[in-house]
Amino acid sequence: MTDTTAAEPTGGQTRDLSGARDMIVCEDVSKWYGDFQALDGVSATIKEQEVVVVLGPSGSGKSTWIRCINRLEIHQEGRIVVDDVELTNDLRNIEKVRSEVGMVFQQFNLFPHLNILDNVTLAPIWVRKKPRAEAEAQGMALLERVGIPEQAQKYPGQLSGGQQQRVAIARALAMEPRIMLFDEPTSALDPEMIKEVLDVMKTLALSGMTMMVVTHEMGFAKEVADRLIFMEGGQIVEQNTTELFFSNPTEERTKLFLSQIL
Amino acid sequence: MTDTTTQERVSQRVPLWRDVVVLKWVTQIVLLFVVLSVMWFLASQAGDNLRARNINTDFDFLERPVDIQISEGIDTHPDTGGRALWAAMVNTLRLSIAGIFFATVLGVIVGLARLSDNWLVRRIATSWVEVLRNVPLLVQMIFYYSAMTAAFPRLGLETGPINGWLHVSNKGISMPRVHIADGFYQWMVVVLVGVVAAYFVRRHRQRIQDVTGANTSPILWAVGTIGLFGLIGLFVHPVFSWLGSVFSAVADLLDSLPVAVPQLLFSAIAVGGATVWIRRFVSDHRSARGHLSLTDDDWFRIAFVAVASLVVVFLVVRWSGLSAWTLNSGRDLFEVLADKFNVDGAARPFDAMRPDIVQPGKFPNYGKNGLTMSVGFASVFFAVVFYTSAFIGENVRGGILAVPKGQTEAAKAVGLRRGQILRHVVLPQALRVILPPTGNQYLNLTKNTSLAVAVGMSDMVQVGTTVFNQTGRTLPVVAIWMLFYLSCSLTISVVVNWFNVRMRLVER
Amino acid sequence: MSELSSHTGNITVPYTPPPETPKLSPREWVKENLFSSPFNSALTVVTTIILLAVFRGFLSFIFNPVRQWDSTATNMQLFMTRAYPDEQYIRVWFCVAVLLTLTGVSMAVWQAGSTVPVAGLGRKLLATGALLALLALLAPFSASATVQWLAAALAVAAIGEAIRRFAGRGESERTVSSLTVLVVTLAGLVTSLWVVPYGHHSYIAKRVPRVLAEPGTVALTTKLPWTIMLLIVVAAYFAGRLMRNRLPTNPTRATLLMLWLLAPFFLTYLVLRDPDFDMGHVLSTDLPIFAAYAVGGAVLLSWLTRPSTGETGRVVAVLILVAGFCTFLTPMRQVVRLDMLLLATFALAAPTFAGGPRARRRYIFGWLGVLGVMSWLITSINTPSTVTVPGGFFIGGFSITLFIAFIALVISFPLGIALALARTSSMPIFRQLATGFIEVVRGIPLITVLIFFSIMVPLFLPRGMHLGEVAAVAIGYVLFSSAYLAENVRGGLQSITRGQHEAAEAVGMTTAQKTVFIVLPQALRVSIPPLVGHCIGVFKETSLLAIIGVFDILYIGRIVIPGQTEFMGSTRENVLFVSVIYWIFAYQMSKASQRLERRTGLGER
Ligand SMILES: Nc1ncnc2c1ncn2[C@@H]1O[C@H](COP(=O)(O)OP(=O)(O)OP(=O)(O)O)[C@@H](O)[C@H]1O
Ligand SMILES: [Mg+2]
Repeated sequence: MTDTTAAEPTGGQTRDLSGARDMIVCEDVSKWYGDFQALDGVSATIKEQEVVVVLGPSGSGKSTWIRCINRLEIHQEGRIVVDDVELTNDLRNIEKVRSEVGMVFQQFNLFPHLNILDNVTLAPIWVRKKPRAEAEAQGMALLERVGIPEQAQKYPGQLSGGQQQRVAIARALAMEPRIMLFDEPTSALDPEMIKEVLDVMKTLALSGMTMMVVTHEMGFAKEVADRLIFMEGGQIVEQNTTELFFSNPTEERTKLFLSQIL
Repeated sequence: MTDTTTQERVSQRVPLWRDVVVLKWVTQIVLLFVVLSVMWFLASQAGDNLRARNINTDFDFLERPVDIQISEGIDTHPDTGGRALWAAMVNTLRLSIAGIFFATVLGVIVGLARLSDNWLVRRIATSWVEVLRNVPLLVQMIFYYSAMTAAFPRLGLETGPINGWLHVSNKGISMPRVHIADGFYQWMVVVLVGVVAAYFVRRHRQRIQDVTGANTSPILWAVGTIGLFGLIGLFVHPVFSWLGSVFSAVADLLDSLPVAVPQLLFSAIAVGGATVWIRRFVSDHRSARGHLSLTDDDWFRIAFVAVASLVVVFLVVRWSGLSAWTLNSGRDLFEVLADKFNVDGAARPFDAMRPDIVQPGKFPNYGKNGLTMSVGFASVFFAVVFYTSAFIGENVRGGILAVPKGQTEAAKAVGLRRGQILRHVVLPQALRVILPPTGNQYLNLTKNTSLAVAVGMSDMVQVGTTVFNQTGRTLPVVAIWMLFYLSCSLTISVVVNWFNVRMRLVER
Repeated sequence: MSELSSHTGNITVPYTPPPETPKLSPREWVKENLFSSPFNSALTVVTTIILLAVFRGFLSFIFNPVRQWDSTATNMQLFMTRAYPDEQYIRVWFCVAVLLTLTGVSMAVWQAGSTVPVAGLGRKLLATGALLALLALLAPFSASATVQWLAAALAVAAIGEAIRRFAGRGESERTVSSLTVLVVTLAGLVTSLWVVPYGHHSYIAKRVPRVLAEPGTVALTTKLPWTIMLLIVVAAYFAGRLMRNRLPTNPTRATLLMLWLLAPFFLTYLVLRDPDFDMGHVLSTDLPIFAAYAVGGAVLLSWLTRPSTGETGRVVAVLILVAGFCTFLTPMRQVVRLDMLLLATFALAAPTFAGGPRARRRYIFGWLGVLGVMSWLITSINTPSTVTVPGGFFIGGFSITLFIAFIALVISFPLGIALALARTSSMPIFRQLATGFIEVVRGIPLITVLIFFSIMVPLFLPRGMHLGEVAAVAIGYVLFSSAYLAENVRGGLQSITRGQHEAAEAVGMTTAQKTVFIVLPQALRVSIPPLVGHCIGVFKETSLLAIIGVFDILYIGRIVIPGQTEFMGSTRENVLFVSVIYWIFAYQMSKASQRLERRTGLGER
């Protein structure tokens, strides 16, 4: 399905994605933690091959939203439809969505007791039921793609933060997801490691993956994102194409935020 | 927007067998069902077997006469099974409380010795720990027992290193002691009044301290108040003898109540409790805007609580025995209390006595005056104290090592001396680490006293075994054991937790 | 009871290596460590006096002529195996040989042992000699005995000094493997058996003519068997070295672990008990049942583990479980029921382990293996034994101590893990049932449970089913151990971060897969130290068997031997011996666990 007519993302220039399918549809999603409302009527649609960057101050509900899409958290109101599968209590839907959506965490969350290759191949073997040889070949290819094939036999504890995060991306990709979610993938990293991770993410975006990224890396957002979403207090304050978002924000709050962050 | 097409493709209803919440609850209910049915199966098997062998499972043995001799304690020739178990319980509690106290003292010494500057002391403490904790407690206990029975002299009329004050013989070790006498309960009431007064005194002093900032030592004042009341109580306690008639009136009242009253009460508690729980649950799940957000899981929970309360009501109504038993035991309790308070005004609360030796038959024995510890008691006592001290010692050592070195150095830098550093800096911090595992050791010690059965000391287990051997009531005795030991465990964990919470408060 | 947790209750102090003291001269050392301050000096003097007094008392207890140490030496066979028949004693030695072979091979494969400096060894011997001399002077010996002991002490010290000198000559420090030291020591002990016949039951004949074993049987002497055993260990060690070099590491280790797990069952039920198999019955009933389950189960599981099977498979698995429970409603052979439940367990777990042909084949072999072992065990336990001993279980003494400890640990391990998982589960009913069970069991003393089980188990069984006392008591131990084990594992489970759970869920693992591949491996690794402590606890707890009248080592030492007419009143000697045996094992285990902790660096995580 990657041979749609969608243009390659080109550094902040708007692509025409209007003909593409809806990959993620959120309608009026609300979520409470006890008495505290973390998401308040979030509605957004993300198209196939689109790269969306989510911005917002700390505590604004970015992580909560992105985790709801993977059903790591359960939303209480509204609808979330991922690749035509609605997230309900249906066992089959949850399994399907989980294996179609890859997720990369801020804290990497690699499995410390498994070596790098096993980290990458574990899920394909046991969830996708691939033969081990095939899974390992694919795993090596992925490690090659994120640039660390020589580390395959090491353990996560022996790798640098940037390398670990790239392994985490490879692990998510090994499930051949159609959507990738990134929750602040670079904010636990030293500055010199951020670039290597962002480079991997850029190539991924160029290859036509649908991506939803929570990040504070404005350079990445300007260069790669098709659209930006600004959240605050559990609500979407503003969403717009990259160019318009930076050049012409409509909301006061967005302007303030941008002035602080840029 | 392609929403319509998306919506069309999405299935609207989740089939039950794929709904995670339903599956989750069905699994749980099935498991509950399996557990209950296995238990029911075993119970019915046991019921059949017991009936076939003509074995009873009621508690009437508590009131029937038994032929049991208790090695020591409040009653050596109890007339009923209940009294025998009661005397045994007192023995177990004595062992545990004394054991906990001495094991703590010894354990702290061992732990500090493990960290001593002195090589010899360090080595001795290490050997103490490594030897004692790697030999089973029971083996130690039996060794002490056989060593003591072999080494101590036979009891003669004049034996004892300090005659009249301390006797040591193969019948045990006897020391002077303070008795509780007839006036004790009235005196306790005075002390209770003192405790209430102390609470107010403390609050008052605390308020002064908060306002003026001066150190008014509220705790000291409170303790002093209790002490004062205790002292006054020694002379004025008979003023409370009127409580006797109040208690007997309550007993009479309980006696005349119909069984329906406690039944109603229990049902009301079950239903009321469930209602309150559900209410609170619902209001907890209401957001600030008054919006109710309950997951399916929460609905199941509410349903479960409601059904459980109804089950309780059903059981209470169906089996009136429980309610009758509550009434009866309440009445008995108040009758006993009334009895305790109906003494003549001149009774003293306490008596102090030196050990005595009596010779009822052919052989001399210790009389009732002294505080006598039989050889069995002594071997259990020393075994649990030594054994537990090794573990507590390790806890103490670990806790002290867990205090960062910087703390000691900082204290040294401000010029505190060694002892002061230990008391004011290291120990308070170490205590937070030491306390939880040591609380665990207290639990272990209490349970370990049950090994006394191996050396013939009359504790709960030994007497219980004798009781069911004589009466055949194994199940009831085991139930009593469980009840007793579980309440001990619960008490100790509550106390330790309370200390723990306090320690953490102090830290802030 | 309680002690099960007592080791675990300890705070694990991160291991700090002893500070590398610069070589102090003896005088400086003494000043530094014993007389650094007035208080310290006083402490040293007082403790020395107390220590000397205690030592003297202890020695005069041990070497008192009225002590009947003969009673211990003569009854060694009783201590170890109780009344196991003399003419069958070769079986016992066979078991020892098997276990020692496994030990030797495992030591080689896991590269046990370390290097110790020769000079240090010499110093240790020197110190031992000095201590011996001190003891000889303190002990209430006759003059000639004192001289003999002093001479021995001097000899030991001299050897130590010689080794020290010899090692100190070269420029680099000489070292030797600790295993060599061990083998030399053991060889010395075995050789001494040939010189002094203390392991020989007839040696006592010069005083009281008493021989416990039949003349002409292996049971009579231990010098020949122990010599053979020593050779076997050494040979096994070298075989293990070969294996380590030739064979792939992980499969070898896994196989060895499996053997360790199976060996006790095999040795107890097949070798020691020697079941008198009724071949006709085995061929006509047991084998067909096994074959039916093996084939049927294999076919079923091969279908269930196909990735394409999907939800139908789950339904079928549940149906098998229901069928397994239904077998209890109709009269049926126990084996059929148990096999059915086993099959249901495997069927339920099948989707988790589904996969390619290799994974499926492995799963089916797993099923066949477990089924085979279980069928064989059931058959051999249900077959009458040819080894007849008066009363009770066919073996006793220290053997039953080890056996019960092993059974309790092996069976309670999966149970404990299941309880821990249930207690940390998000499902309230699971959680509450597990919590209730764990807290109740941990709140009551073990002895009450053992008494209850030894008396009441027959009452809870359906009519026609029998369970020996030892088996009933073993159930009590298993339940107990599982509750404490669950608490240890729970500690490990709680140390797994939420991120690990989320990462596993995010790649689409089911709860079972997450538990098996991500959570448990990490949690168990964290709980190794408390788990070893738990093993020591269970081992010590086996002494409680004595209270309910099982002939374990303590019961024999306390009741049986002091009741023999020749050895009346020898309780203290024998109980002391029992405590030494327990101590050696428990101490070694705790040392081993400390070494393990240090090696895997668990303290530093
Ligand atoms: N498990 C939870 N329980 C209660 N409150 C929570 C929980 N998780 C998040 N919250 C609250 O929900 C709000 C949104 O959290 P979220 O993690 O989504 O913020 P965020 O936008 O990702 O912030 P950051 O940039 O710091 O990661 C926060 O106020 C947080 O305190
Ligand atoms: Mg966040």
